Amino acid sequence: MKVLVLNGSVKGDNALKIVHEIIVDVLEDNGCDIDSLILHEIEIASCLGCFGCWVKTPGICVINDEGRDIAKAVVQSNLLIFLTPVIFGGYSSELKKALDRLIPILSPFFEKIEGEIHHQRRYDQYPRLIGVGVLPNKDEKSEQIFNTLIHRNAINMHSPSYASGVVYSNQEADEIRKNIQRFLAKVGVGK
Amino acid sequence: MNTQKRVLLLVGSPRRPKSTSESLGMYLLDRLNEIGLITEKISIHKSLKSDRGLDNLLSTVDRSDIIILAFPLYVDSLPAPVIKAMELISEHRKTTQETRKQQLLAISNSGFPEASQNATALNICRYFALKLGFEWIGGLALGGGAAIDGRLLKDLGGMVRNITKSLDVTAVALAEGKPIPQEAVDKMAKPIIPTWLYMFFGGVGWKRQAKRYGAKKNLRNQPYKNENKI
Repeated sequence: MKVLVLNGSVKGDNALKIVHEIIVDVLEDNGCDIDSLILHEIEIASCLGCFGCWVKTPGICVINDEGRDIAKAVVQSNLLIFLTPVIFGGYSSELKKALDRLIPILSPFFEKIEGEIHHQRRYDQYPRLIGVGVLPNKDEKSEQIFNTLIHRNAINMHSPSYASGVVYSNQEADEIRKNIQRFLAKVGVGK
Repeated sequence: MNTQKRVLLLVGSPRRPKSTSESLGMYLLDRLNEIGLITEKISIHKSLKSDRGLDNLLSTVDRSDIIILAFPLYVDSLPAPVIKAMELISEHRKTTQETRKQQLLAISNSGFPEASQNATALNICRYFALKLGFEWIGGLALGGGAAIDGRLLKDLGGMVRNITKSLDVTAVALAEGKPIPQEAVDKMAKPIIPTWLYMFFGGVGWKRQAKRYGAKKNLRNQPYKNENKI
């Protein structure tokens, strides 16, 4: 199974490092082929909102940088993991800069999914999705927003299954590992 | 002492000069200006490109009484540069002591016809306000924003009557120091055109634009298709 981990840690903040290591370790235990990207180390331009990726070069962003490579890696993975500090309930700007560039993996045309309008698939298959948020300590409101955001992304990105949750930077490694295993099991990886 | 309220519009769209976020925000700003409030506008994307721009953004936020955040919905949330600005404002406010009550509202517009798809993004804005000590005075959600396509609302006539009514009502409330009335929220959320028609025009529009670039036959291309995917 090909797994793409998008690490949205903010430069200088090491809180996600341990969680990232645990995720990679658990994935390795499950025999996964892992590609991990520390997004703050990668120059990715902001989406221009031009829709060129739909009408000029369909399926490919008009900006030729690593944002394109990430879109390709997402399409070609079986499981996509977002790892991010939870910022006001949502993603960090580092993770979001990569996600905003994923628009070309969808079709511009609309369809109805459970009564709501979304973009049609461009590809037959999309990866399963796991969102792992990291907080310094428990914050129910923030976690609720985060889990809803992953749920909404899973619908829009046609994820066949998804899981999400928050771990805390003051948690023991064993506890974080159990949570990661639980998220993976929910999308059919491991027990 | 100048007691006039200062209002700042933060435009969170990368599209210039044709941005629906700016169209919505500027209509509201113009109404507030007519009422007598002092108004300013800053493009977030432009501000983040230089230290000077960022300093100006942070100091203008500091001196504003009302901040209007207008942005397009990107992947169920706010565009990355808007989140970046929130992170930077948050960092900045750890070093300042704001004693005045500042108000924050957000206007989110989505390319999907349902205004409700903006809910998560507006919840993020509300939480940002709560965490930073702004008074959250509400969010306006618009669906089908592509129908405006960055044009001035005053040029769009009856098609945007619910939107302009919403913003008119909002302007009066803001001038009186009140939160966004439910009437404004409801008016903004009304579909600009019926969903089926929006879907139809959307399909035709993409084909027409692609034709202009000689890409009409490639609209459904799958450049990253991996035949070996398990």
